[in-house]
Amino acid sequence: MIPEQTQPIRLAIDMPQSASATNAPTTDTSAPSPADASQSAEELCIEISHFNAWYGSFQAIHDLSLDIRRNQVTAFIGPSGCGKSTLLRWINRMNDIVPTAHSNGTLRIHDLDVLSPSTDVVHLRRQVGMVFQKPNPFPKTIYENVAFGPRLHLKLRRGELDELVEWSLRKAAVWDEVKDRLNAPALGLSGGQQQRLCIARAIAVGPEILLMDEPCSALDPASTLAIEDLIYELREQYTIVMVTHNMQQASRCSDRTAFFFEGRLVESGPTDDVFTKPQQKRTDDYVRGRFG
Amino acid sequence: MNIESTTPVAPNDSESQRPVPEAIRQGASATTESTQNSQRRIRRSKTFYGICVSVSFLSIVVLAVLLISIAVQGRSRLTPTLLTGAHSTSEPASSGMYPAIIGSLSICAVCALSALPLGIGTAIFLEEFQPTNPWLRRLHGFLNLNISNLAGVPSIVYGLLGLSLFVFMFNAFGQIKVNESSGTELMGVERYYQILTLAGGGDSVLVRQTDLALPTITITEPIEAVDRDGNTFRLEVWDPKSGTPKPKDPATQHRTVRLGQSGGAYAKTSWYYFRLPFGRSFLAAGLTLSLVILPIVIIAAQEALRSVSPSLREASYGLGATKWQTVRNVSLPAAIPGIMTGAILAMGRAIGEAAPILVVLGATVAKNSGPQNLMDTVVTMPVLIFHWAGDPQVTYQQLAAAAIIVLLLVLLLMNSLAIYLRQKIRVE
Repeated sequence: MIPEQTQPIRLAIDMPQSASATNAPTTDTSAPSPADASQSAEELCIEISHFNAWYGSFQAIHDLSLDIRRNQVTAFIGPSGCGKSTLLRWINRMNDIVPTAHSNGTLRIHDLDVLSPSTDVVHLRRQVGMVFQKPNPFPKTIYENVAFGPRLHLKLRRGELDELVEWSLRKAAVWDEVKDRLNAPALGLSGGQQQRLCIARAIAVGPEILLMDEPCSALDPASTLAIEDLIYELREQYTIVMVTHNMQQASRCSDRTAFFFEGRLVESGPTDDVFTKPQQKRTDDYVRGRFG
Repeated sequence: MNIESTTPVAPNDSESQRPVPEAIRQGASATTESTQNSQRRIRRSKTFYGICVSVSFLSIVVLAVLLISIAVQGRSRLTPTLLTGAHSTSEPASSGMYPAIIGSLSICAVCALSALPLGIGTAIFLEEFQPTNPWLRRLHGFLNLNISNLAGVPSIVYGLLGLSLFVFMFNAFGQIKVNESSGTELMGVERYYQILTLAGGGDSVLVRQTDLALPTITITEPIEAVDRDGNTFRLEVWDPKSGTPKPKDPATQHRTVRLGQSGGAYAKTSWYYFRLPFGRSFLAAGLTLSLVILPIVIIAAQEALRSVSPSLREASYGLGATKWQTVRNVSLPAAIPGIMTGAILAMGRAIGEAAPILVVLGATVAKNSGPQNLMDTVVTMPVLIFHWAGDPQVTYQQLAAAAIIVLLLVLLLMNSLAIYLRQKIRVE
């Protein structure tokens, strides 16, 4: 479906060991082979333990422990207000924007302590990309949208930037639809194309993890299908954490599922197990649609 | 949101058993009554629409009456002289408002240059930054609360503030000197003695002042001097007693003085002449006006920044942008049209303000040019109109009406320029 591409410019943060991050791009063109991917399939990527989070005095997450594995799609499901989006927004510290939000516990990405005040948030967010519920392209051209992230971090020559933009758009399966109108306003695209553009924008800075906060909830069924296919493809190179309200979606495209209820993790495990033989009564009720 | 549940959600029992309210059952059966009711509401809606239309017409009519009466009164004075001449007490017919136009525009420029960066900066602080430092947070809250109060302060109060803050600077630099040539001005001033009595008459020449303590100089020997065109030459001396003859040649006469002639101190100011305190200068007036419009600019910029979708900011932060990168690349570009609109309104207010200008610069209109340096006083259009309109002579009253038309045209021109710029930015 997508021609296999290698990222032309590796953005220096593939491995956590290089977290001290030089901004100089190295032109390493070797793609991670599928063998690599399967080998590291069970490798731990995000480690969350005894994590609590508050908005002011309201505790949104209670003592939550969860491991997220590398190169897998992990879906967070649960009724509204159960804390799944909150947790997602703590993984790349997007909650820093909310003045009343605070948390404690452990949240590590490899050996990076995410919650530590000394963590370089700019670097963290480069490593952990985010796709939002509503497609939110900038009111600029398609090209400028994708080039926005790389321009923040690197000084690239025009040719390199062009190459990176094309690579990202191809990777996000939207290149064929937009290649003839890269300089057209991004807001002229359809909702599904906008969302794929947002994914291209997120992967253009070379993240390792992609956080998706209900990426399909504002889209029509056809676009949803396209995004789901894309998520499935992207899993080979990225660790994906996805919040969804749509349980069919979780069962279709995730490897592992975590069920949240009222700020607590009720159950987590391989998606098939969670949906077919849940251990907890509440999970069973939820996946059968008895509430929520 | 769970659209694809495998088992249908059981209907809520308490919902289904709740009885239908009496009013709904009645309304459903009593058809004629409900029709009458809806007819009445439609009539009321139409009446309201009519009131809205007539109210808006009323304001247009008032404006039209004002414009027509001014146009009729000022029509005879809308001549090129109005735009090129200066105020004249002796000849009302040849009076014009050229210095006032230049003066108003230069005050406006000072005002824009100081109020826009300050206002936009403050708005960015208030809207984009959530300080964590408790003191900054307190300042943040205090500012947010008080900016709108500041917008309601009468402009004459700002005028008085400007008078002590900019004109006198609380006398921290001493009193304003009456004779500016004898002070210790800071920059942009060259000191000379002016020698008026040359052997052959004609223009005066200047001799550079070396000792600031000496207010006059007595010429006893040849000395280096500067003529009106800025050329240096040697100023010769003739002395009837010792027998040095008075030169005959007119060219030489212009470079010679009689022994013992004296010259008074004279300060030649450059355009960048600058001193503290500012005194009654257009710089002080512009800064005072910037105080007047600052709250308007801040509120407009705040509104504009607030209307930028938070999801765009999140997208930018999510890509690893810093606060400044987000403000610079996302929030400000999206807010610029709104900020421009606010700035236009604010500048319109600034150019029309008379009260603070009257306090800061006084009501003098006797000036026949625009400002020559930063410390120069100016005449502004509102003050000139105020002066002319209060004059008993009919000619001046006609001039005032004509000047109002010019002021409105200048405002219109500024607004259209700004709207044009805004559209251009929006398209890009």
